[in-house]
Amino acid sequence: MAEEKKMPSGTNSVLVVGGGISGLTAAVEAAEVGYEVFIVEKNPYLGGRVAQMTKYFPKLCPPYCGLEINFRRIKDNNRIRFFTCAEVENVSGQRGDYDVTIRLNPRYVNENCTSCGECVKVCPVERDNDFNFGMDKNKAIYLPHEMSFPMRYVIDMDACLGEECGKCVAACKYDAIELGMTSSTFNLKVASIIWATGWEPYDASKIDNLGFGQYPNVITNMMMERLASVNGPTQGKILRPSDQKEVNSIAFVQCAGSRDENHLPYCSYICCMASLKQATYVREQYPDAEIYVFYIDLRTPGRYEKFLKNVEADEKVTFIKGKVAKVTEDPETGNITVEAEDAVSGRKVQKTVEMVVLATGMVPSAANITLPEEIKVDESGFIVNGLKDGGMFAVGCAKKPVDVVSCVEDSTGAALKAIQTMVRR
Amino acid sequence: MAKGYVVEPDVGFVRDLQELGGDTLKKCYQCATCSVVCPISPDDKPFPRKEMIWAQWGLKDKLIGNPDIWLCHNCNDCSAYCPRGAKPGEVLAAARNYSFQYYAWPKFLGKALANKKSLPWLFAIPAAIFLFLIFMAYGKTSAEPGKIVFSKFLPVLYVDAVFIPTALFAIVAFVIGLKKFLTEMNGGTMPPVGGILKSLKNVLPVILKHDKFKECTENKDRYYGHLGILYGFLGLFVVTNLVFVMMDIFHMEDPFSLLNPVKILANLSALALIGGLAVVLYNRWKTRETSGLGTYYDWLFLLVLLGVALTGIFSELMRLAGIGALAYLCYYLHLICIFFLFAYAPFSKFAHLAYRTTAMAYADYVGRELPVEEGESEGSSSEEEGSKE
Repeated sequence: MAEEKKMPSGTNSVLVVGGGISGLTAAVEAAEVGYEVFIVEKNPYLGGRVAQMTKYFPKLCPPYCGLEINFRRIKDNNRIRFFTCAEVENVSGQRGDYDVTIRLNPRYVNENCTSCGECVKVCPVERDNDFNFGMDKNKAIYLPHEMSFPMRYVIDMDACLGEECGKCVAACKYDAIELGMTSSTFNLKVASIIWATGWEPYDASKIDNLGFGQYPNVITNMMMERLASVNGPTQGKILRPSDQKEVNSIAFVQCAGSRDENHLPYCSYICCMASLKQATYVREQYPDAEIYVFYIDLRTPGRYEKFLKNVEADEKVTFIKGKVAKVTEDPETGNITVEAEDAVSGRKVQKTVEMVVLATGMVPSAANITLPEEIKVDESGFIVNGLKDGGMFAVGCAKKPVDVVSCVEDSTGAALKAIQTMVRR
Repeated sequence: MAKGYVVEPDVGFVRDLQELGGDTLKKCYQCATCSVVCPISPDDKPFPRKEMIWAQWGLKDKLIGNPDIWLCHNCNDCSAYCPRGAKPGEVLAAARNYSFQYYAWPKFLGKALANKKSLPWLFAIPAAIFLFLIFMAYGKTSAEPGKIVFSKFLPVLYVDAVFIPTALFAIVAFVIGLKKFLTEMNGGTMPPVGGILKSLKNVLPVILKHDKFKECTENKDRYYGHLGILYGFLGLFVVTNLVFVMMDIFHMEDPFSLLNPVKILANLSALALIGGLAVVLYNRWKTRETSGLGTYYDWLFLLVLLGVALTGIFSELMRLAGIGALAYLCYYLHLICIFFLFAYAPFSKFAHLAYRTTAMAYADYVGRELPVEEGESEGSSSEEEGSKE
């Protein structure tokens, strides 16, 4: 560690862009071996996509558990500082010596907030709850979700009526609400940057033959996770959107927009396992429910094969080898008929079900943001930088679509790479 | 798995298909999107997913002896939705192109029509024949000074001397090809002709009304294009036969008045043909990204048809304009194009008229259930096939 002393001041630190499971892991790993870490998160909360999940595969345990452990480690470690509602605006410099401009977007709620919730009671406007993919509403001032970290409210200024209304300001006993808050920037000097920018669900309405956006009972796999979550829009009951009926039959449409050069040309890796997982919890909750899984190939890498075998053993789960290419709705009942060719029997199969879940894939969030010049991306927007390209690395789903366990392993590796840029000079 | 089937891949066949316009066939990963988005594919054993794997595995007998490749009307909905760019529509077109060669009699003509290099001599044959006849006829008859009369340039007898044997040859070649086709589709034995003709009566209204084309969603305009071409062609075909009767049997003199009903039909048909061709050609260009630009077979057929229509129209226009030399030149070119169209009909894409009609009749005969059922057949003449020249 002798070289460490030669480094210019202020560059003994790592910036982690993105506070999801990958970013949190990388941050904690680097900090726990003694480096200073900054986390920049765009959302008003940490936890990313994992915060929206109801169960992990293959153990079917609650994902929030792992997040809480990481939050605990962050709280206990004074080498980590995190910024929510924050974005990287500019990066200059090179490996070992980056100058990063961070923009802090206004949250309109300061550190005084105790999450008492008095503001919500008086707020007169509702907005689509984006955390639940618009399946329910919350107020213009809201807690992103029950377990939000940091546990602090936030205001959606697109929905808020502003100073003229001001009811929340009056209701807040702690002077926590600042409707006049503006965005600000500050600069950080870091040696290395870990891009843990994660993923967005593919916009299923672009798949014009699968009915998403046209028929309310066609939902995506991420919406299904929220429906099944106890803190979701239906308190964990799987009620279909059109009439809030508990579902008795579901069709899973695999590769909805994935492995498709008209949409996402790659395999998103997790969707098969996600659907199998969802099939298990639907079956557990509704013992009479019929499940149909339409697939091209079932991809259950490595040890996940065993999970597939277990689901296959369930006689109420039917697997059909053929991609769904046509979806129609019965306007009377809201039921959906999916159509595929069963490539094994060589016959077209039509199944009418109460709800359809599209197994949509991952779009790298990095594809939708401006990246520094040093970052190299592939044709789909995944970041491909390695050690030889400088001091920036991507982890987890910013690099390729993977499951949580792979993200975590990858993040530990990225923390090491970041440290190497500092000690190997 | 019940009955054993030994797969015998024919690698050469795969390569042939790739060269005949199916170069994307290896991209297919059997998701079966194509079979579902196809608006005219049946529920039982739908196409074109199974055809794609037969093509990949080089299962020539299965693919070529399969009526389904002809039930496809090349809407290309499948190609538009294909997640891999495997273009099933083009692969099936390649399989049809292969069929033209495979069922061709005599074989060498089938090969010649598939090969760009043979094109010059395929045109040279009619060019030489008609040049020779014009030379023979020269000086024997002549039109009144200042008048342009094609039958004085080349007497009808000379024209008949070429086209009647040509027609007979085409009919024989078609009959041999179709017999082989029906036998292969039926698993090695010829199905009864009576049954096929009865089914033909059922499918003719579907063909004439273009019901199948109407179902295409990706390629809607082609309905009008193909309709224009078919009816334009049929109209001109009728005109040709009427003129044959009028001139050879009733010894009427050409040129006919522009108000003559036969002449009116001729001009309207020519316009329909050109209009239809324009739509189809424009459409090919417009959908080149999703469906491909089409194959050599397509272009040869479309351009020869266009040649027939344009040389015919120009012969007429030049005659009316009184420009003798150009009128006779256009007429000469017109004859070459017509010869090309009919003499090579059984081996060019022209033959799709016969093969698709036969395949549809066969599918009806074996009770292959197709999505749109025709209510009742209107029973027009049952001999309408490509072989009727």
